Amino acid sequence: MALCEEENSASTLSFMELAIQQANDALDNLEVPIGCVFVLDGKVISTGRNRTTETRNATRHAEMEAIDDLLKNWQDNGLSAMEIAGKFSKCDLYVTCEPCIMCASALSILGIRSVFYGCGNDKFGGCGSILSLHSQGKGFECTGGIMASEAVSLLRRFYEQGNPNAPKPHRPLQISK
Amino acid sequence: MTTMKKWEIIHIPVKPQISIMDPPCVDVVAAVIEPKLANTLIRRLNQTSPLENLTHVKRVRKISVEEAPQASFTTYANSGINSHLSSLMLSNIDGITGFSEEDSQTVFSFMKLALKLTNSGPQLENAAVIVDPSVRKIISSASDQTHSWHSPIDTSSIETRCIKHPAVVTSYQPDANGAAVVSDENKRLDTDVSCLYPWKWMEHQQNTGKTCYFHPLRHAALVAIELAAARDKHLYPGSGNMLDHSFQVNSLTSSIDSPAKKQKLDFSKDKNDSDLKACAHDSCFETERPYLCTGFDIYLVWEPCTMCAMALVHQRIRRIFYAFPNPNFGALGSVQRLQGEKSLNHHYAVFRVLLPEDVLDHAPS
Ligand SMILES: [Zn+2]
Ligand SMILES: [Zn+2]
Repeated sequence: MALCEEENSASTLSFMELAIQQANDALDNLEVPIGCVFVLDGKVISTGRNRTTETRNATRHAEMEAIDDLLKNWQDNGLSAMEIAGKFSKCDLYVTCEPCIMCASALSILGIRSVFYGCGNDKFGGCGSILSLHSQGKGFECTGGIMASEAVSLLRRFYEQGNPNAPKPHRPLQISK
Repeated sequence: MTTMKKWEIIHIPVKPQISIMDPPCVDVVAAVIEPKLANTLIRRLNQTSPLENLTHVKRVRKISVEEAPQASFTTYANSGINSHLSSLMLSNIDGITGFSEEDSQTVFSFMKLALKLTNSGPQLENAAVIVDPSVRKIISSASDQTHSWHSPIDTSSIETRCIKHPAVVTSYQPDANGAAVVSDENKRLDTDVSCLYPWKWMEHQQNTGKTCYFHPLRHAALVAIELAAARDKHLYPGSGNMLDHSFQVNSLTSSIDSPAKKQKLDFSKDKNDSDLKACAHDSCFETERPYLCTGFDIYLVWEPCTMCAMALVHQRIRRIFYAFPNPNFGALGSVQRLQGEKSLNHHYAVFRVLLPEDVLDHAPS
């Protein structure tokens, strides 16, 4: 995992900016503010943000959302599995937080080329923090620390400004009526 | 292949190479205490002799002692604990200390169901059954959908779950010995099992006029989680407010934050769990809604890959039972051992279910 804040190119920063926008969208929708974009040949081909609250499915991370869109679009356009594998091998992911162990495995299964992330994930990180799935088997290039403070401040806002979905210290009340 | 005479359940511990038959021992001090002293005692014990590696161990257990029904029982091991024994003795996850005959039979019957799912398609696939053990009820079940993804986020999938692409099903010849083939000819016939061969999707040949997509990540466990989540939404439509958000990022990056800041951001995470554990799951009252899959078990034919195993952490599964190890990418003992990753915010107990020879020979078809 390379930290290269000073040599981040303008395009790297602009793609991460878009990922941050996705994270912002998650925040507006009371979701954990993590967002991502997939980039192929210099163009954003898919975006995603956390959707775990809405779906009640704790695996619906930003990466999984964006991957589903990609797979559907490519197959709607008639691409074969082999062609899709070829596309993934030229894809880069920009995500505001280090992919968790599940997502890092998924990215390895898809054979993505590289991942650029913002802040680290010291509880669940699969790209160096807990496991290093990017450097095992069919791995991928991984660069962290890009606009990390922006990513962190979004998460901090989420947790500190009184998350309405926060677990209450006592048995949850019936809020929806 | 060793010949098995009967069903058996083996706990897969958080650390490798510890024999269940011969666990290492450690000195333990135990005492009956006044219940109202429990908090103070535990606080002191956590300082003086922290239970490292044994976060799931409870120090105090309420037991009914004659003439003193409210008495508590305190115990702690000496410092430098790496005791498997104390985790065996004290764990609060059912089954680590062994299964009753009744519980064993329940486990076997749900595993049979998963095996049946495995054999229901044209090729061997992994299969997953999520169960609420408190009422012995199936919450969701699925086999791999890497070749049969119907449509993204289709809420009607609650009804259509596990239905294969019709053209595929008609070409399938039921094989009464399917499960026997699973174990004996592992290398020959399991090449479509998603968790065993996660990169196989790249070779997938598309049939023209298909009604479904392929999806390399729709392993059985992920599909079963999705169905369980959809069921939850269906049964408890109004109550989206109790999700805690600690599952993706509990505390933020150490590379940027000072420990003090991290502390602030570290969200209390397990309160919901304990609140809800006592609830019955069978009713539609909002207050009784379980949090994610808290309290639920999952039965898998093959040990899950890393992706699936981590998904089961996220969704807070309580216990995992699998029949066959996954030597390629198994994340519960074979290659990784996620149940032993201390940093994770949730830990499940893992069991392997050994199948007797006659079940393998006369597998359900
Ligand atoms: Zn993730
Ligand atoms: Zn898997």
